[in-house]
Amino acid sequence: MSATARVVAPLAGGLVTLLALGALSVSVSAGVKSAGQRLAAPQAEKPKVAVADHAEVPYCTPRFKQVLERVLHSCGLSGGDNRRGCKPADVKTFASISDADFNELFTPLKERGGVVLFDTAKDELDAEAKKLLADRWADRKGARYFFVVARASKTGSPEKNRALSHRRANSIMYYLKELSKDPELEKKVGLLWLGNEFAQLSKEYCTWPNSRTGKKCDDESINRSAFVSWVDCRL
Amino acid sequence: MFESKSRIPPAISLVASALGLSFATSSTLDYAAHLDRGLHDLHCSFVPGAGPTEAAEACRTAMYSPYAAFFRDKYWGGIPISLFALGSFTFFAGFALYLLLAGARAPRRAVGFFTVVAITPLLASAVMGTISAVELGSFCKTCVGIYISSFLLALGALLGALGLRRADGDERPRGSWLVPAAFLPALGAVSLVPAAVYASSMPDHRPYLDKCGTLKKEAEAGDALAKITGKRPVKKATFFEDPLCPTCRAFHQRLRAEGVLDRLDVQLALFPLDSECNWMLSSAMHPGACTVSKAVICGKDRTQQLLEWAYDEQEALAKAGKLGTPTLRAVIEKRWGADLVTCIDSTETKQTLNKHLHFAAENAIAVSTPQVFLGKQRVCDEDTDMGLRFTLRHLSPELLP
Repeated sequence: MSATARVVAPLAGGLVTLLALGALSVSVSAGVKSAGQRLAAPQAEKPKVAVADHAEVPYCTPRFKQVLERVLHSCGLSGGDNRRGCKPADVKTFASISDADFNELFTPLKERGGVVLFDTAKDELDAEAKKLLADRWADRKGARYFFVVARASKTGSPEKNRALSHRRANSIMYYLKELSKDPELEKKVGLLWLGNEFAQLSKEYCTWPNSRTGKKCDDESINRSAFVSWVDCRL
Repeated sequence: MFESKSRIPPAISLVASALGLSFATSSTLDYAAHLDRGLHDLHCSFVPGAGPTEAAEACRTAMYSPYAAFFRDKYWGGIPISLFALGSFTFFAGFALYLLLAGARAPRRAVGFFTVVAITPLLASAVMGTISAVELGSFCKTCVGIYISSFLLALGALLGALGLRRADGDERPRGSWLVPAAFLPALGAVSLVPAAVYASSMPDHRPYLDKCGTLKKEAEAGDALAKITGKRPVKKATFFEDPLCPTCRAFHQRLRAEGVLDRLDVQLALFPLDSECNWMLSSAMHPGACTVSKAVICGKDRTQQLLEWAYDEQEALAKAGKLGTPTLRAVIEKRWGADLVTCIDSTETKQTLNKHLHFAAENAIAVSTPQVFLGKQRVCDEDTDMGLRFTLRHLSPELLP
């Protein structure tokens, strides 16, 4: 047996094994330690990931949100206040806005919402009103709040109309409770009742989707109503 | 002539070992890079030493699988199996070099020993290849590189053994019994060294496990979420998942493979990454995911069955989803019947899915799936794959069998 086979070959094999093992061990150790250093002191910030939230659409202008926020807050729709809805005078004060501007803010919600119409001096919802409400309620998408803005026509005293529009708003709330069985409904639905003192609707609003399509609609009847809509704004 | 022929088998084994070393090194360094809890490109190629690529789904699937590493509950990510390949190929390279240099004068017992031990990587490759085919459903190119190297190594060794038979009567010494007695422990030691070095260098991941936030709102007020209750539930969990999301599927499979799903009481919030129903996206990442999510909701007491069917059929459903809702509905109807499709189309189901999405919004989860909460504790994204078992061991040890 030659010296190569007896001595050189096993030595070379063993040496190569040890050298390779050493080099690989250094490489593995360096790779792991480098990862450890990056873990302890990250050099690059983690890429930002979008966070799930309610919808925010272009009509949520700062002005619109400001009014809605004030209304939400002052009418007890946010925070722990037990009040539901607010008086017409409150809306005017807290919204700090004219009647026309107030109505104008809701114009982008024309197709998203609907106008529930009532009989004179009544607060009962008819079948069409319930259907409109159910349809609009089901089409929530990403909205956080559902607004109900109830009104009364000019006929009668402001006090009576204030109470009437309050009852109309409540009728809607009761129906939504029955419909949705949602235990957190109170946190979602904002009720406003304006009586006949603030932001009356003009006849033009008869063209908005409503519960009595095809029936007579005028300056009086359009205000025997409640406008309802989900509002796609983060407030 | 005989002398040069006798060198061919060890030369094949030497080349095979070098190839195996190259693939095992790539795989090991990729694994090690992920110990920083970041996401990195992988070396996923049949070409040894090829650069890392983004498109390495099969390699990522293999890397995140429970079969990629040992001791995964003791070390974050475990000790990758490629480290043992690294050590053993090093040994085989050295031994093949020895046989190559010794040529026809290499002792018969040395050649015999090499033949026996050089087959073991092929056996391991056969096992891993079967797992890839049966459990993972894909083959990672780097792994296939190791399988091929193992095959060539075994081939070289067997050719060497066949050469022994032909060389009856030659002057090749028999060699001592000490050859296998000494080299077997050496093979074991060399195979273990890289793993020992890796384990001793690892950073401590424990401080990072509970730093990813908590669930703000534990339950959906209207009890709209779906439920998956294991056979022996010991822990409540909340999952936000998209049935057409491959990462969710892989996560679900990992939980099942670990035996963890049986120990969980899961409330499942469907979070389809599809703009048809999910307002948080401007375009559909997984078209059709809203429809499939509704199907899962309609499963009611068969939620898990529906979800797992969606995961099993994910490619077909995703393809159908891209073709449009009618195609997708037809696929669903074929498997689950017309009643389920009627349920999918109902306003009630649409509202239920909407509630799932609002639950996600109220919890301000990341718009990415899956999002996993054990009790209230959010499991970091990076702990839902490689580090899953380690994380469970530390956050909820009762979940591990």
